[in-house]
Amino acid sequence: MDPTLALHVVKNGLLIGGIYGGVALGLSLIFGVMRIINFAHGSMLMVAMYLAWGLWAGLGLHPYIGAIITVPALFGLGYLVQACIISHLFRREKAFVVEPLSALLLTAGVFLVMDNLVLMIFGPDVRAVSIDLAYANFFLGDIPINIPRFIAFVSAIGVAGVLSWWLKTSDMGRAIRATAQNRDAATMVGINVPLVYNITFGLGTAILGLFGALLVPFFSVTPTLGLAFGIKSFVVVVLGGIGSIWGCVVGGIVLGLFEAFASQFVTATSAQIFSFGLFVVILLVRPSGLLGKA
Amino acid sequence: MFGSATTLERALILIVAAFLVFLPSIVRDPYHIHTATMIVYFSFMAASWNFVCGYVGQLSLGHSVFSGVAGYVTVLMFTQMGLSPWIGMLFGGFFAAVLSLAIGFPTFRLKGPYFTLTTIAFAEIMRIWFENTDNFIGIPLKGSEGLVVPLVGDSFWAFQFNEKLPYYYIALALLAIIVIATAIMERSKLGYYLKAIRGDRDGAEALGINPTKYSLIALSISAFFTGIGGAFFAQFFRYINPERNMGIDLSIDMAIMSIIGGQGTVLGPILGSFILHPIAEVARTSLGGSFLGLHLVIYGAVLALTVLYFPQGIIVPLRKLLARISGGDVK
Repeated sequence: MDPTLALHVVKNGLLIGGIYGGVALGLSLIFGVMRIINFAHGSMLMVAMYLAWGLWAGLGLHPYIGAIITVPALFGLGYLVQACIISHLFRREKAFVVEPLSALLLTAGVFLVMDNLVLMIFGPDVRAVSIDLAYANFFLGDIPINIPRFIAFVSAIGVAGVLSWWLKTSDMGRAIRATAQNRDAATMVGINVPLVYNITFGLGTAILGLFGALLVPFFSVTPTLGLAFGIKSFVVVVLGGIGSIWGCVVGGIVLGLFEAFASQFVTATSAQIFSFGLFVVILLVRPSGLLGKA
Repeated sequence: MFGSATTLERALILIVAAFLVFLPSIVRDPYHIHTATMIVYFSFMAASWNFVCGYVGQLSLGHSVFSGVAGYVTVLMFTQMGLSPWIGMLFGGFFAAVLSLAIGFPTFRLKGPYFTLTTIAFAEIMRIWFENTDNFIGIPLKGSEGLVVPLVGDSFWAFQFNEKLPYYYIALALLAIIVIATAIMERSKLGYYLKAIRGDRDGAEALGINPTKYSLIALSISAFFTGIGGAFFAQFFRYINPERNMGIDLSIDMAIMSIIGGQGTVLGPILGSFILHPIAEVARTSLGGSFLGLHLVIYGAVLALTVLYFPQGIIVPLRKLLARISGGDVK
C-alpha cells in the first residue's frame, strides 16, 4: 500500500474509531456498574439522531445547538427506562443481582419497541441533515480532515476524560464506583443504590444524546441503524475491556483502524465481516479485552 | 409422552391437536390456510430453537443462520443438480448441523450475554457474506437478490403444490416430529444432562457431565431441525434470500416465541407462536401497511412484560390455572 493512501486510511480509521469509542462509552459504563448489557444501546443512539434531525428539520436548529436538548432528553429517556422498566428486575432479585440474560432480554424488548415505534412514526426513509459544515475540511500537512468528524472525534476523547475525572472526584462518581465494586457494601454505607443505577443509566444514554447530535451532520439515519451501532459498541467494549473508560476509546480506535484497512481490500459492507470476525476472535481468545485485567 | 400433565391438560392438548388436523375442513380459503401454515411453521422453528437453547439455558440469536444455509443447500441442489427438495432438505439439515458444531464448539464455553453476542456475530458474518457473494466457486448464490425456485407445477417430487393445503400438512407433520423429539429428549439422559447444565454448569461438570459435548449434541439436532424449517420456508415461498431466511429478525422471532411461551418445556414455544403470530397477522392486515413494524412493537412489549412477570413463560401460569380448574394440586 502506498504511503499516502496508508496515511489516509489511518486518518479515516482514527476518526471513525474515536467516534465508535465515544458511542460505546455509555454501554461500558452501564455494564461496568450494573452488569447489564443494554441491547437497546444502538437504538437509543438512533433515537438521539432522529431527535437532532427533527430539531434541525422542524425548528432549523443546528445539530450542535440541538445537543443542548438531545443530551438532557436522552438522559431522561435512559433514567426512565431504568427507573420504570429495568429496576423491576433488580427489585425481584435478591441483593440487586440480576441474572444477566433476563436483563438482556428485557432490553431486547425495549430495542424492539423503540426501533419499530420510530419506524411507525417516520417510515423507513433515510433522513439526513444538510449543513455546509458537513463538507468543510482543514488540512493537516497534505491530509484533508473533515471538520464535523474531527469535532466528534475530539468530543469522544473529551467525554472520556471528563467522565473518568468526574467518576474519580465527584461524590456521585464515587458512589457509582463504590456500587460497581460491591453493591451490598455500597448499600450498607448509605448509598442509594437504585438512584445510582438510574443516574448511571441516564448518564450512559446522555452520552448518546451528544453523539446523536454530533453524528447527524455526516451520517444519515434510518430506524434500523441502531442494531449495527449497538453491535459495534459491544465489539468496542469487549475489545477495550468491560467497564474501562479509556479501554473503550482504545477499543474504538482499534476497530476503526481495522475496518478502514479491511475496506481497502473488500467492499465496505463486506468489511463488516471482519469487525464481527475480530469480535469473535477477541471473545474467544482474550475475553477480558485488550486493556482489561485477565 | 406428557407424563407430568394433568388429565385436563392432556384433554386440551388432544383437542388442539385434533383441531389443527381438521382445521382445513372448517376453513377453506387460501389466505387462512396460509396464515395457519405460518403459525405452524413458526411453532416448529421456535420448538427447534427451544430444543437446545431452552433446555441448556443459553440464548442464541443466531439460529437463523441454520435456516438460511439449509434453505440455500436445498434450493441449489434442486436447481443445479435436479435433486428433489425432499432429499435436499435432509442434506441441508445435515449441513446446518455440521455448521452448528463448527460454531458451537468454540462458543459454548462462553456464558450468558457473551454467548448471545457471539451467535449474533456468526450469523451476521454469514448473512453479510451471502449478501455480497454472487458466485462462490461456481455456485450462483446471487447475493442479496436471492434465489427463485423455478416453477414446475403440482409435483410431490419437486415439493411444489398448486394449493396451500399440502404445505399446511407438511408443516403440521414437522411440528409433530419436533414435539415428539423434544418430549423424548426431555426424558432421556440428554434432557437430564442439559437441565443439569442449565441449573449449575460447574456442578454438572463436577458430576462428570461434559457440558460442551452434550450442549453440542443438542445444538446439532436443533440446527438440523431449524435447517429443515428453513428448507420448508424456501419451498413454501419458492424464494430464498439472505435477509429473510438468515437475518437476525428470524432469530429474534424464534427466540422470543419460545421465551414468551415458556422455554425449556415441550409445548411452551408452540404456545408462544400461537399467541404472537396471530397478533402479527392482525396488526399487518387490519391496520394495513400504514403501521409498519407495529407487530414488533407489540412483540417487544409482550417480551418485556413476560420477562418481568412470567420469567418462565406464559405456560407456567396457564398450567397453574388449568390445575386449579381441574381441582388438582398446583405444582
